[in-house]
Amino acid sequence: MAMIGLGHYLVVSAILLVLGVFGIFLNRKNVIVILMSVELILLAVNLNLVAFSAALGDLVGQVFAMFVLTVAAAEAAIGLAIVVVYFRNRGSIEVEDVNLMKG
Amino acid sequence: MIYAVAVLVPLFGSAVAGLLGRAIGDRAAQAVTILCMIVATICGETAFIQLVWGGAPTGTVRLAEWVSAGSFHVDWALRYDTLSAVMVAMVTFVATLIHIYSIGYMGHEHKPVARFFSYLSLFSFAMLMLVTANNLLQLFFGWEGVGLMSYLLIGYWYERPSACAAAIKAFVVNRIGDLFFAVGIAMVFFLFGSVSFSTIFAAVPQHLNDTYALFGTNYRALEVICILLFIGAMGKSAQIGLHVWLPDAMEGPTPVSALIHAATMVTAGVFLMARISPILEHAPVALGVITVIGASTALFAATIGCVQNDIKRVIAYSTCSQLGYMFIAAGVGAYQVSIFHLVTHAFFKALLFLSAGSVIHAMSDEQDMRRMGGLWKKIPLTYTMMWAGSLALAGIFPFAGYYSKDAILEAAFADGSPVAIYGFVCGVLAAFLTAFYSWRLLLMTFHGRSRADHHVLEHVHESPLVMTGPLIVLAVGALIAGFSLRGLFIGADWHAFWRNSVGVAPGNHILARMEEIPAWAALAPSVLALLGIALAYIMYVAVPTLPAGIAARFAPIYRFLLNKWYFDELYDAVLVRPFFALARLLWQVGDVTIIDGVPNSIAHIAEDSAEQAVKLQTGSIAVYAFSMLIGVVLLITIFLIFR
Amino acid sequence: MNGSLATPEIVLALCGMGILLFGVLRRGDGGLICSMLTIGALLLAAVLVAGGAFGLAFEGQFLVDPMSVFSKFLILAAAILGVVLSLDYNAREGIGRFEFPVLMLFATLGMMVMVSAGNMMSLYLGIELQSLSIYVLAAFARDDVRSAEAGLKYFVLGALASGLLLYGITLVYGFSGSMDFAAIRQALSDPTRVSEGLIVGVVFVIAGFAFKVAAVPFHMWTPDVYEGAPSPVTAFLGTAPKVAAMVLFLRVMVGPFGHVLMQWQALIEIVSVASMILGALAAIGQSNIKRLMAYSSIGHMGYVLIGLACGNAAGLRGALVYLVVYVFMFLGTFAVILAMRRRGQAVETIADLAGLGRNDPALAMAMAVFMFSMAGIPPLSGFFGKLYVFLAAVQSGLWTLAIIGVLTSVVGAFYYLRIVKVMYFDAAREAFDRRPASLSVVAAATGLFTTFFFIAPAPVLDAAQAAARVLFG
Repeated sequence: MAMIGLGHYLVVSAILLVLGVFGIFLNRKNVIVILMSVELILLAVNLNLVAFSAALGDLVGQVFAMFVLTVAAAEAAIGLAIVVVYFRNRGSIEVEDVNLMKG
Repeated sequence: MIYAVAVLVPLFGSAVAGLLGRAIGDRAAQAVTILCMIVATICGETAFIQLVWGGAPTGTVRLAEWVSAGSFHVDWALRYDTLSAVMVAMVTFVATLIHIYSIGYMGHEHKPVARFFSYLSLFSFAMLMLVTANNLLQLFFGWEGVGLMSYLLIGYWYERPSACAAAIKAFVVNRIGDLFFAVGIAMVFFLFGSVSFSTIFAAVPQHLNDTYALFGTNYRALEVICILLFIGAMGKSAQIGLHVWLPDAMEGPTPVSALIHAATMVTAGVFLMARISPILEHAPVALGVITVIGASTALFAATIGCVQNDIKRVIAYSTCSQLGYMFIAAGVGAYQVSIFHLVTHAFFKALLFLSAGSVIHAMSDEQDMRRMGGLWKKIPLTYTMMWAGSLALAGIFPFAGYYSKDAILEAAFADGSPVAIYGFVCGVLAAFLTAFYSWRLLLMTFHGRSRADHHVLEHVHESPLVMTGPLIVLAVGALIAGFSLRGLFIGADWHAFWRNSVGVAPGNHILARMEEIPAWAALAPSVLALLGIALAYIMYVAVPTLPAGIAARFAPIYRFLLNKWYFDELYDAVLVRPFFALARLLWQVGDVTIIDGVPNSIAHIAEDSAEQAVKLQTGSIAVYAFSMLIGVVLLITIFLIFR
Repeated sequence: MNGSLATPEIVLALCGMGILLFGVLRRGDGGLICSMLTIGALLLAAVLVAGGAFGLAFEGQFLVDPMSVFSKFLILAAAILGVVLSLDYNAREGIGRFEFPVLMLFATLGMMVMVSAGNMMSLYLGIELQSLSIYVLAAFARDDVRSAEAGLKYFVLGALASGLLLYGITLVYGFSGSMDFAAIRQALSDPTRVSEGLIVGVVFVIAGFAFKVAAVPFHMWTPDVYEGAPSPVTAFLGTAPKVAAMVLFLRVMVGPFGHVLMQWQALIEIVSVASMILGALAAIGQSNIKRLMAYSSIGHMGYVLIGLACGNAAGLRGALVYLVVYVFMFLGTFAVILAMRRRGQAVETIADLAGLGRNDPALAMAMAVFMFSMAGIPPLSGFFGKLYVFLAAVQSGLWTLAIIGVLTSVVGAFYYLRIVKVMYFDAAREAFDRRPASLSVVAAATGLFTTFFFIAPAPVLDAAQAAARVLFG
């Protein structure tokens, strides 16, 4: 079995990133899915950070990963709050309905 | 420091009167502006005295950085040298008197006059900015400010169509001059790499032989620059060709006329010549042009002045003529003399205008001299003042005009070149005419039988003290300014007085040579002036039928003069009408086919692309996110291609 | 190494928490009092910024230099004016809750951290603090479906942009070996260290910043969010965060990535041109004035990016001067927009401005000044903003940018002047309600600045010059 190196981690994280980004605009159904996609992107970022940190032998990357985790939690909380506000007004959280303003 | 106060305080007064005029009322607005002007005068005179007798060093007062773009660097700074200090002292002094006078003159206005006082102060400020400028750009700022304020003041009675037309005319004619002026500044910058006076003057010797190639001929750069700047000065100082706005500017209230003609605006051109004298000294062709134009204007305006019937217009043409004298002096290299005449002229011209205003005020706004006459008993003080002004204007000993005007003619004679002799001849003839029309004005207005209707006559009254007070002060100035300032300005010690603020080339000994001219040449102007007075007496008092007879005998000449040499008609035919025709043509061809055609299609393209541009803006999050992804991919592609 | 350099930020954070506590413990709506306290806290921060020294703190995470001080003043000024603008609006719209000023305070704190960032970590934390606060602010009118939608859109797209930015940061970290700006710059001075992976990382970072400053093609959120968010939030959103993001953009591109200038310059040029063109064209067809201002701000950011594309001190100075000028024009315009209210109802179409020239000459005059200035007509401040970036572009040989800039500003003048035309020449409509004093103050202050900037531009120019010089040694 070949050694799992930095390249492998980067590929996985790139895949996660692409999944996350595609999840945002291919998903036509639910805003919650978008929140999950955002988490996916942040996951890719954390994976990158930790992988690089290990490869470089530098702890800063892992410290940054902690910060990203914390901020992601705050971001999720605020995102959900906004979704709740939106749902109360509109009675729906379908992504396709979010187009009151355009032009 | 006090120098900066002298310049900036009028701005403050103007701002208060202009912005808060409604709130604080007319009285307070007048009080504020006049108080500010008085402060400015005290500071201005103090600065002048400190410089001349106190031995204060010359220099600059830097206020702030203004424009800094690449190599183009300009500061707000006040230049403190004799030339500027003289002008500041004169402008603040005369402007203050005019402010005070305006209280009485504008007293009968029905509308609030806070706006008027605000404009007056702002006008003074712009002029102060102009004369204290340390670089050409700041000078241009003041120059344009003066032009703008003159537009507002001439058109002050905006309900009168003639006032609006006059204001627009003044503005347009000035713009023509300004255009050349602006081009001149640009060329100075390209030649010297700076617009600051000290830098320019220091660099003049290095650029003596620079040339511009134009239409296959080489022109000396300094000559081109000087002529361009002189054309700018011609516009402001109403020299022949660009003088047409000045008489029409009489549509403004009389204090405005006094301010424009005596202290500010028209003298800006003369001042500019003195300011750029270090360059002018190396531009003999430009100097010749200046002399010829000045001399022609002096004579030309005097001839017109002889037949005008509007009291203010006569004085207006006399201003035109006197400015011509100043340019003669500048043209023969006697810049000190031109500034000397500028200062004495400020006194007696302000005096004449304000006296005329007093007459007009007394006559219930009548300005036509043919409907005046016999007023001297009813308004004796104004009459006396008018005498003083006229004596000074005609150059009768010992009044101010005698010293300064004779000095100009002596300088022209001493120079001796054909151009200067032309200036001398024109000047002497103009002196004769000046005396003639001044006494024509005096005699027609104050002597003889009254030709006004009795309603007006019943109301004739001497003006209040706020109006006569400034008159008396100015009359004293018109009497003593000549002999008291002569020693300073053009005496043997002029070097100590001017301290390099005017540039006089080493070979220029015009002031010394002035003293050596033959006696007949020195006496000629005075003799001719006395003859002019005598002629006026004969024509308007001794033989009152004579003028009509002469006018009938020489009808073509009379009409030619009365119509101001047909300058307005000439411009109308040569410039204005073809311009309108061209405009109409452009409108018909252009508007229909080009304006409606091309820009409309451009507008259509713009609107279509606008529609396309917002089409993507569907409001859908998915599309927005997708466009971001596309953006990233696009940028990465470009990045990888271009690296 | 001295934590006292961050005193303004620390004090502001403490004040923010204090005001939050005060608001929570107090009975009833504390909107007005908390707003006043917030203004006080922001002023206090400004004083502390003015009194602070220059230097590095927290292991290079936090730096104070003329550039950060310059932008902090601008950010604080925009924030203070933003809070003032919200006072009356929030009360009338029934959203005068105390959280509003507190959120603005924390957003401001985030921006101050952003412009002082000396490390990717402090950069990220600043951005997130700012963004999270503003997501909430955009959705603050929680009973208004448009506000909620604006908040949702801004949040989703903003989170995506943050993700992209972060991903870029990780790549830069991995390939350069450090998070610290100075260390990254050091590493990239060696051309062999500039790998493909790093370049992809830089592009992701550019994308993230381009989103924050709303430059094409990452601008799509702007019109919708500007239109939907409560007007005071839009006024704030269009100014302070733009300044912070743009300054950070300038700092990161010129500092850490300064040695790969040749690689990113073309990208910035493209983004700048696209923003100018879109800003000029898309605004033409708009009827909602807030939406129009959104497109207008996209165009303005295009002009600022010209300064960045120059990649030299002159360009940077032009960009900073433009930001100052822009902030005051934009806030002034929003002071007028907030005054557009008939019978207690806020109106926001351009046609509603008809007759303003007659009904309220002072307000119309102010609006005309802002519009002329935005169109770049001398001698108003907007002209000088454009002048300096165009001059810098010409000096750097970027003729294309300068020419396109001039052309788009001509097209842009079309819709700005249309507003002036509507105000003065269209058939008058019913007058607006009496405008509150707070709006008059902001409109007058910004209007005077815009009008008289030309008389004494030196302080701003000198400060911008000093700030620009920092990045170029």
